[in-house]
Amino acid sequence: MSFSLAHALTGLFWLGALLLLGGLARRASLWQQGRSASVSWLGLLAMPKRYFVDIHHVVAREPAVARAHVAAAGGGVAILLLSALNYGLMLYQGWLDVLLVLMAALMLLGARMMQARRLQAPPRLSQGRWQVLPARLRLFALGSLLAAGLLFAGPQLGMAGQLIAVVALLMLALGGAELALGIGLGWPMKHAVAGLLHLAFHPRAERFAAKSSDLKPLNLAAGELGVAKVEDFAWNRLLSFDACVQCGKCEAACPAYAAGQPLNPKKLIQDMVAAQSRGTDPAYAGNPHPGREAAVMVQPGEDIVGSVLAAETLWSCTTCRACVENCPMLIEHVDTVVNLRRHVTLSRGEVPGKGSEALANLRNTDTVGGYPLAVRYHWAIDLDLPLLQPGEQTEWLLLAGEGAFDMRYQRALRALVKVLKAAGVKVAVLGAAERDCGDVARRLGDEAGFQRLAQANIATLAQYRFARIVTPDPHVFHCLANEYPALGGQFEVWHHSKLLEHLLARRAIPLKADATPLPPLTFHDPCYLGRYNDGYHAPRNVLKGIGIKVVEMPRSGRDARCCGWGGGAAFTDIPGQRRIPDMRMDDIRETGTGRVAVACPNCTAMLEGVVGERADVIELAELVAERLA
Amino acid sequence: MKIAVLVAPAVHPVSGRPCAGEADLAALALAQRLSSQVDVWYAGAADDAALADYLARGADNIHSLSLSPGSDVLAALCSVLQGVDMVLCGARAGGGDGSGLLPYQLAEQLGRALLPDVLDLSKSDQQWQALQALPKGVRRTLAAKLPLVASVHARAASAVGWSYARLQQGKIQRKAATGAALPQVVLEPARRARALVAASKVSGHARMQGAIAGGEGKSAGIVVKQGDSVEKAQVVLDYLRQHQLVDF
Ligand code: SF4
Ligand code: SF4
Repeated sequence: MSFSLAHALTGLFWLGALLLLGGLARRASLWQQGRSASVSWLGLLAMPKRYFVDIHHVVAREPAVARAHVAAAGGGVAILLLSALNYGLMLYQGWLDVLLVLMAALMLLGARMMQARRLQAPPRLSQGRWQVLPARLRLFALGSLLAAGLLFAGPQLGMAGQLIAVVALLMLALGGAELALGIGLGWPMKHAVAGLLHLAFHPRAERFAAKSSDLKPLNLAAGELGVAKVEDFAWNRLLSFDACVQCGKCEAACPAYAAGQPLNPKKLIQDMVAAQSRGTDPAYAGNPHPGREAAVMVQPGEDIVGSVLAAETLWSCTTCRACVENCPMLIEHVDTVVNLRRHVTLSRGEVPGKGSEALANLRNTDTVGGYPLAVRYHWAIDLDLPLLQPGEQTEWLLLAGEGAFDMRYQRALRALVKVLKAAGVKVAVLGAAERDCGDVARRLGDEAGFQRLAQANIATLAQYRFARIVTPDPHVFHCLANEYPALGGQFEVWHHSKLLEHLLARRAIPLKADATPLPPLTFHDPCYLGRYNDGYHAPRNVLKGIGIKVVEMPRSGRDARCCGWGGGAAFTDIPGQRRIPDMRMDDIRETGTGRVAVACPNCTAMLEGVVGERADVIELAELVAERLA
Repeated sequence: MKIAVLVAPAVHPVSGRPCAGEADLAALALAQRLSSQVDVWYAGAADDAALADYLARGADNIHSLSLSPGSDVLAALCSVLQGVDMVLCGARAGGGDGSGLLPYQLAEQLGRALLPDVLDLSKSDQQWQALQALPKGVRRTLAAKLPLVASVHARAASAVGWSYARLQQGKIQRKAATGAALPQVVLEPARRARALVAASKVSGHARMQGAIAGGEGKSAGIVVKQGDSVEKAQVVLDYLRQHQLVDF
């Protein structure tokens, strides 16, 4: 009997392997709908590092889940490898059976832990097949345990032994079906195969080397106008959607979802899966886009926006990257949102709300608000701020950005200039030669407008001589530092928080000597400084440097909630249940400090725009200026 | 029905750059709503870039009659508009020296009816009905038979958004044309405006008192100090109804 059980296992193994390969071929044909992409096959070699280091960084934030996954997945993979050796290659070694028993026990433990978690599943987790997956995995592990145990026990099996062998085979077949058929039928275990391939052929492979948050330019000359249909995605982008494990961490982090706007990033990714699989995968069993039906109508050949995805979903996104930051499968939601927006904006010209007005202003005046360029530095008229002339030299070039037109933010800009002067920093401005950086245009999908502005700015800046650029606007900072290089503009750009930190560290800013402790406050991280550029420490060090204690909000640093402005969301203004800045003000109120420090003109405007009782909103530079001797 | 839309670059009020004029855009949108046979015409000296906004906002193809700067466009336009059923144009060019005379001159030269300042056009029987915009939100209905000329008010809906793809696909076809010299402009000295004479010489405060105090029976004003907010609101509502300022 033991002989035949071993052979049955060999048969089962190869059957499973064939089914898996067939399923993979079917899924790969779906990915092949996409455009070609330049990927490196070396990614396959880098896969283990990406799995154990990069994914671990994200997963380790939830240690219990991480442990369960290590046990279940580690055990599972070990079982598959050992079975491949012992039964696939028909070695039939007893010592391998011992190892198999151990690994099966490990997997059993992991699956058990997962099942326990599923009993009180947080609402962000998908139900449906995902809910029963741990039980199936347990079945598989138990089957392995029994089969390997029997084989190790010896060739003579009694009646009872034979019965157990049959049961074990049944368990293996049932549980193993989950593993073997997952990729082909779009069942949960699809994530294991697609996830590994996604790591190897990630559409943003540079993120494994260093921080990478820039949007990639479209080749407009070649007729690239964003993604209209599934076929317009790169194939590895389609693959990345299949890696999603529907854990809903993106959903839990998304400010638009929390505000009841019709966007759930998890559902967005699943909508893309539905579009590429033409609705053949099992139905989605998670939370819908708020206020919308969960079911989607997939019409092959139709544009994505307007069929599987409503335009409002797309325009609700603030591009805050909270989803990307939290995704354990390293899926890049923002790239997809912007790629789809590009089609809607560039091809259809359908930007909602005040978005189209902002884009028209940029085209006609090079400013978002439609202001004359000549008035950008009117706030500095009495500050004796040198206007840089072509050919002249300065150490620091200050780009004030769009905040220069806002009377509230002009106070912050004046404070910044005052501090820089007190510190003896040689700083000059461009005056009317400064155009908008193109951030709003790019996030609203107007890639043509962005490239025009970026190229014009790069050409302008080339006429001047300066060592570094400093700006208080994280959007200007991000564009110039991270997105202009792809268009040929290489500049050393500092956010003003970094410059202030640097000056304070060198004791270059003369501070009041009195030791009266200042009241504590809380700090709101701008997305484009924090998650986009890891600029978490500089503003906090500045506050520490002037003797202010920061009371952190629970959602701060990497987990900070967006103010609601980013991605042009303040212009498209898609209605929800609440406003995002109101929710953020609640976070601020909870700290009980009554004051919040900000480091971005747009956060300033959004948080000051909260109606009713609210905390004082103070810019970083204003706080430093208050402490000047 | 063949429609011709006349467009011209406007001057952006802030930057001075050429852009599409609101009224011309509205004319284009209205034409595309009414017919699928729409030809877009421009006559003048502007370069193609100045017309780009119209391509991006829905014109597939612009016929540009190149004239030397400072020439009168009337004759050149009339020569190409003879066989067209309906001519639509903005009520006046956006910015610049637009006199707003062109629609009238066209109608006169082509011998057609003119529907000025229309917000919308609709067909009823054999006629075309126009909703005309008058100052202070007043609306009026006009009607005319084809062929006709209509000038479109800047406030009419212009639905088509700006699209880069349409800008790339759109074409401008230049056609040589001969423009006439502009008619001699006769300048007259401005007549002195008659100084306004106030009807009464009392101060603003006194007049306000007169309007609301009403104690001496001098005016019809009522001061409502009693009652809660609903009752006070009822008095205001009654007043508005009495003077037919609301109709509910
Ligand atoms: S996209 Fe990422 S974070 Fe969101 S549900 Fe899928 S795996 Fe989880
Ligand atoms: S970027 Fe921010 S707003 Fe957009 S989907 Fe992700 S979490 Fe939501």
